[in-house]
Amino acid sequence: MIPAAFDYVRASSVDDAIRLLGEHGDDAKLLAGGHSLIPMMKLRLAAPAMLIDITGIPQLDAIRVDGNRVTIGALTKHAALAASDALKKTAPALWDAANQLGDPQVRNRGTIGGASAHGDPSADYPAVLLALDATFTVVGKGGERKLRAGDFFREMFDTALGAGEVLTAIAFDAAPKSAYVKYHHPASHYAVVGAAAVLTLNGGSIATARVAIAGVGDSAFRAGGVESALAGVRGSDEAAVAAACAGTASGQDARSDTFASGAYRAAMADVFTARAVAQAASR
Amino acid sequence: MEYRNGKIGVKGDPSKSMTTAEAGFMAFMGDNLPPGLEPGMDATRRFEPPNFVFPFGTHVCVVEVDAKTGQVEFVKYLAVDDCGRLLNPMIVEGQVHGGIAQGLSQAMFEEVVYDGDGQLLTGTLMDYAIPHAEQVPHYDLDHTVTATTVNPLGIKGVGEAGTIGSTPAVANAVMDALAPFGVVHIDMPLKPEKLWTAMHAKNGRAR
Ligand SMILES: Cc1cc2nc3c(=O)[nH]c(=O)nc-3n(C[C@H](O)[C@H](O)[C@H](O)COP(=O)(O)OP(=O)(O)OC[C@H]3O[C@@H](n4cnc5c(N)ncnc54)[C@H](O)[C@@H]3O)c2cc1C
Repeated sequence: MIPAAFDYVRASSVDDAIRLLGEHGDDAKLLAGGHSLIPMMKLRLAAPAMLIDITGIPQLDAIRVDGNRVTIGALTKHAALAASDALKKTAPALWDAANQLGDPQVRNRGTIGGASAHGDPSADYPAVLLALDATFTVVGKGGERKLRAGDFFREMFDTALGAGEVLTAIAFDAAPKSAYVKYHHPASHYAVVGAAAVLTLNGGSIATARVAIAGVGDSAFRAGGVESALAGVRGSDEAAVAAACAGTASGQDARSDTFASGAYRAAMADVFTARAVAQAASR
Repeated sequence: MEYRNGKIGVKGDPSKSMTTAEAGFMAFMGDNLPPGLEPGMDATRRFEPPNFVFPFGTHVCVVEVDAKTGQVEFVKYLAVDDCGRLLNPMIVEGQVHGGIAQGLSQAMFEEVVYDGDGQLLTGTLMDYAIPHAEQVPHYDLDHTVTATTVNPLGIKGVGEAGTIGSTPAVANAVMDALAPFGVVHIDMPLKPEKLWTAMHAKNGRAR
């Protein structure tokens, strides 16, 4: 539980962080809230020689709503998201996730940027950000890139972030009919299964649906088959919603651990997806 | 020596006395004692009660099991324990609270898992589940007071009352919920997947 020796430096701006990343190369890691990186270092699953602390960079921790567009700075803490009325109105799915993430200590330190960049398959935000079809702004030596969530999240602990790049913001269109429901692991409280649903409704019927699942696959994933099956279904018709949400994890090699087998996880993905859809429709 | 007016004194000599605190301090410091006398002042007495005490009680637990997931929700927990006279009721309640949590944790959560090579898979509290405050129910506690006659205070033990009562109360409540599915036994801990699998194996309508 004692990390390998490392050095520490504070970046004053995004450009400064990029410069420092270039200087120290593969030996360096960005440090945000530290609530994924520090535990990995203590278990010696990570041993960066240099930590570049980005928490002092100004203006990266704001939640901005411009008309229909919501933009969240990468350094925004879970607690700020959980307490945001603007977020609750514009993207309740993300608000749900922030409120159910970890415990108060974790929420007071961890950031949405760190949680996304880490690529943990049991983390909550990736499913929500996939369902929101969010756009990730990533800045490196060569300038700025915009990545869609579907391209950003790749595999377990692997994202499209380049070695010298900093994630600065995450943006998406407002999605008031959205919800995230979570099956908490009894010990870690990470997602055994997390289901995010983003709907548009036509009367009481679902016009379009985007559904994404955390905890089940090697990375969060969209459930395309379920999304099309949901079209035309009445959100309040429990049986029809459940039928449309069958086979959420089909094509996935569902993960198994000491708490839940792959088969059980896959079955729970269906149940929790149906609940997320019903909740989103009722909002 | 005799004890008079809150002081230790020499019998028959009213001018020679000191408080117990003064005597204790002298004994503890030990630098003014007659030769050969060890410093310190303590005595041990042992009390052998003529019989065991018999605390008793009843614990009732109400749970709901979600047939779709196997997840268990506590609805109510009531414990009535009799530990004789309650000298400090707050400490008694604390003991019962902690004991119930420990016992229900055994019934529902705690499990040491090794893989085939003998590698411990539940080696941290991120894997080995011990309930947080929000994972245990509110406890409704009450007491009957049946003083024992085998000690002068009328007191009986309470330390284990919670653990002894809660493990079977919780496990039996869950098994009672599963009775309509024809399930009669599941090994603890009663993890959701086990309940879900048992409900499915016995009865397709759980889905
Ligand atoms: C006890 C506990 C319980 C938790 N429970 C949950 C849970 O239920 N659900 C959940 O989703 N998460 C959970 N987490 C994880 C939590 O969300 C972390 O805060 C988050 O995963 C990491 O964010 P951070 O800001 O702490 O990042 P750090 O730990 O500082 O960094 C994580 C990784 O991201 C990189 N990084 C950080 N910021 C950037 C950036 N702007 N650009 C590029 N790379 C960056 C770092 O270099 C590092 O590789 C839990 C953590 C703990 C300790």
